[in-house]
Amino acid sequence: MLGSAAKWFAQLAMAGAAVFLLAPLLVIAAASFSPTPVFDLPIGGASLRWYGAISSLDGFWPALALSLEIATVSTMISLVLGTFAGIAIARGAMPGASFFSAALASPLMMPGLVLGIALLQFFHGLGLTQTWTSLLLAHVVVTLPYVARTMIAGLSRFDFTLLDAARTLGCGFTSSIVRVMAPALAPAYLTSALFSFLASMDNYPVSIFLTDARNKTLPIKMLGSSGDFVGNFRDVFTVPASPWSGFSA
Amino acid sequence: MSVVAMVKPNVATRLRSAKAGLLLALPAILVLVFLYVTPLAHLLAQSFESAAGFTLEPYGRILGDAYGRSLVWNSLRLGLITTGVTLAVGYPAAFGLALSRGAARSVFLACLFLPLAASVIAKAFAWTILLRSHGIVNDALMWLHITNQPIRMIFTQTSLIVGAANVFLPFMILPIYAVVAQIDPRLLEAAATLGAPPVSAFLRVVVPLSAPGVVAGVALVFSLSVSAYVVPNLLMGENYPTLATTIAKAFLLTRDPALGAAAGAILMTIGLVVVALSNRLGQAAGGSR
Amino acid sequence: MGGPLEPTVTAAPHVAAAGLSKRFGASTVLDGVDISVAKGALVTLLGPSGCGKTTLLQLIAGLATPDAGAVSIAGIDVTRTPPHKRNVGVVFQNYALFPHLTVGGNVGFGLTGRRLSKEEITGKVSRALDLVQMGKFKDRPITALSGGQQQRVALARALAVEPSVLLFDEALSALDRNLRETMQVELRRLLKDLGATAVFVTHDQDEALTMSDKIAVMNAGRIEQFADPLSVYARPRTLFTMRFVGISSELRGKVSERADGRVRVDTKIGPVVAQGDQAIGAAVIVATRPEHVRIGAAAGAEDNRVEGRIHNITFQGSRTRVAVDVGGESDFGVEIAGVNALPEAGQGVALIWPIAQSFAYLDPRGGS
Repeated sequence: MLGSAAKWFAQLAMAGAAVFLLAPLLVIAAASFSPTPVFDLPIGGASLRWYGAISSLDGFWPALALSLEIATVSTMISLVLGTFAGIAIARGAMPGASFFSAALASPLMMPGLVLGIALLQFFHGLGLTQTWTSLLLAHVVVTLPYVARTMIAGLSRFDFTLLDAARTLGCGFTSSIVRVMAPALAPAYLTSALFSFLASMDNYPVSIFLTDARNKTLPIKMLGSSGDFVGNFRDVFTVPASPWSGFSA
Repeated sequence: MSVVAMVKPNVATRLRSAKAGLLLALPAILVLVFLYVTPLAHLLAQSFESAAGFTLEPYGRILGDAYGRSLVWNSLRLGLITTGVTLAVGYPAAFGLALSRGAARSVFLACLFLPLAASVIAKAFAWTILLRSHGIVNDALMWLHITNQPIRMIFTQTSLIVGAANVFLPFMILPIYAVVAQIDPRLLEAAATLGAPPVSAFLRVVVPLSAPGVVAGVALVFSLSVSAYVVPNLLMGENYPTLATTIAKAFLLTRDPALGAAAGAILMTIGLVVVALSNRLGQAAGGSR
Repeated sequence: MGGPLEPTVTAAPHVAAAGLSKRFGASTVLDGVDISVAKGALVTLLGPSGCGKTTLLQLIAGLATPDAGAVSIAGIDVTRTPPHKRNVGVVFQNYALFPHLTVGGNVGFGLTGRRLSKEEITGKVSRALDLVQMGKFKDRPITALSGGQQQRVALARALAVEPSVLLFDEALSALDRNLRETMQVELRRLLKDLGATAVFVTHDQDEALTMSDKIAVMNAGRIEQFADPLSVYARPRTLFTMRFVGISSELRGKVSERADGRVRVDTKIGPVVAQGDQAIGAAVIVATRPEHVRIGAAAGAEDNRVEGRIHNITFQGSRTRVAVDVGGESDFGVEIAGVNALPEAGQGVALIWPIAQSFAYLDPRGGS
């Protein structure tokens, strides 16, 4: 057994990591309530003026809407693709299953900027100039690894003989999937949907190349499209802390 | 349903699986091939193109030039140091998470997942506030008498590492935790009964078994930090040029696509090497189960 | 005792526990347990789940510390010694083989750090694997092994370190029945050949009867009886032992006379005599084994005789189980060997069995 000193050390490390990870979040939350334009700690008082100011932010709502749309649709597409791929891999009947599974996870490790440029040029070459579609396709690539990894893990733990049992009890193929597999995989669906959604909402490197002056996703709006910080402190903090934008981006 | 009828579907599902498997995987395969591999391959090809035909000139500009090499080195350095720091903190933390129970575990997990929901831009900014000369961290350091004067941390590589480690730490802890949580505690008991003192048992049993998680975490954090754009840009501005910042500048500002593509190709190569290595190491460490 | 030429009468026990107690939260899992195991003996701790047998094993191994009491191995008090210094070999129920090592790596695990040369280690590993007939699997990964093979590797691993005592924690229960029965016999033979001292934990009474030199029947944190298998089966000391090991055919009644280690008990269907010394008027249960009961035969002076009605007959091949209604809440079981002269359900019959095989125990439910 790990000695108790070692256990204490490990839990201390985790506690320290937790504090370290929470620190910026607390700053974000605190900053959004700051009464003054220039934010510093400790805050003198609390104010909701920045939350009110969000709606007058130029282009905020369209950017938020676009981000939400892209995130939702790409997540849904990835969920379907990822589930199917996960079934194929988990059943083991697919040749090259482990290579495929590694390939599915690899976009996570590819530099997002590079992917963004590659897609931009590729789409241009194909004559695809419509922002919305190109953003969506790019975000499917961005979100698919998150979904695939989680679903593969969840599916490899799923007992497929449950489907056989359901079929002998009278369910058709689709019905057995819906009534037996979906509920068992619900946690995996939720987790992968969540990760996928957040990854899309927060994505900068890929989106920066595929957005234009009229169509910006939220992170692009926040950071400015020239790649440098152009906006104000308060935008950066209020926007992410705002309950309207969800807890993301 | 007769017994025969019940047996047959079983055989049929097995046989159908091989073809059905490929069919199910097809959409995902198509996405990978057409929206991922092809564009990247195209970009790679483009880096060799110029008006005069095949060329290595952009590579020459990057690799042949001291400045260019410093870009590569900066990227690698950021990746290595961030990976080292997150591994040093994250390895014991993963065990701490696996050992915790109940409320403590829920809190820890929340602390790992919540930051993933917050924008990296906002987090990077929060660090500029925390690390200010009269910010919280400096106040704390002086209060603890570790230093008498505020340490300048903004726009230094310290703040860069702190910010990068903060953003990428969950990506190190979670894969290690996932593997460690599955280690059978009986194995440690067995090692003890075989005469191994606790430290030796840990080194000879737990560490090797945690290896697949470490490989996954290191691969992920290294590739993310090597190609990080937002964090270096916000915390160091122009003071820490990397391949990633060069790419962005080349495509967005200076309109130098070949250079950007070359830098991108180098970054992509690093990514591919990481993927291939982690796959090989992960399987060797027993992670393919 | 005697002079220098007198042989030692009793050898010191090889494993001894005295007054061991262990609590988990509010429940007492072990309650002042004493046990001693002679060198070279195979002892089984037998009992239902929750009786404390696994805890007792863990205390001997050092994987848990007692709240009270002492443990000694090979004459040395090890109560405060951590498990890695006790030189015990443990075979776990799920084998606990190290997945990242090969078969040979697992078996040799305990041998590193003992200042043995590589050749010596290889030699010991090979010998241990040969003992369990797994010599050819030395370089295989353990994930490629079947359950039975893994179990043998786990045994070889424990044997390789040449421990003072081997501890088996339900080690055979994960095997299928045929394999288990084969392993029981094989294991006993191997351990006897090696002269090893071993303690088994099991809930399977057949396993205990097959493998042990002595059985400790445990119930609710106490040892009810610690004796050789025959004694435990044929002369159970407590009602729990009677019921847990083998089948118990019972009658309820009150003691009406007692003399010379026997009592006369009045039951609903007549008086019976049993071994016992309970007080007159005490509510008791009289129990015997079904195979000692004969149907319809002549009763001798040393026999009990009662009458009942056959309720149920179950044919089981080499024997037949007959359940007889004797007016109590459960049927009185009778076992008939062979297939001759089978009675019929509904028949009124006389049941006869020897007083010597009849035991009286205090009725845990008191009188009625």
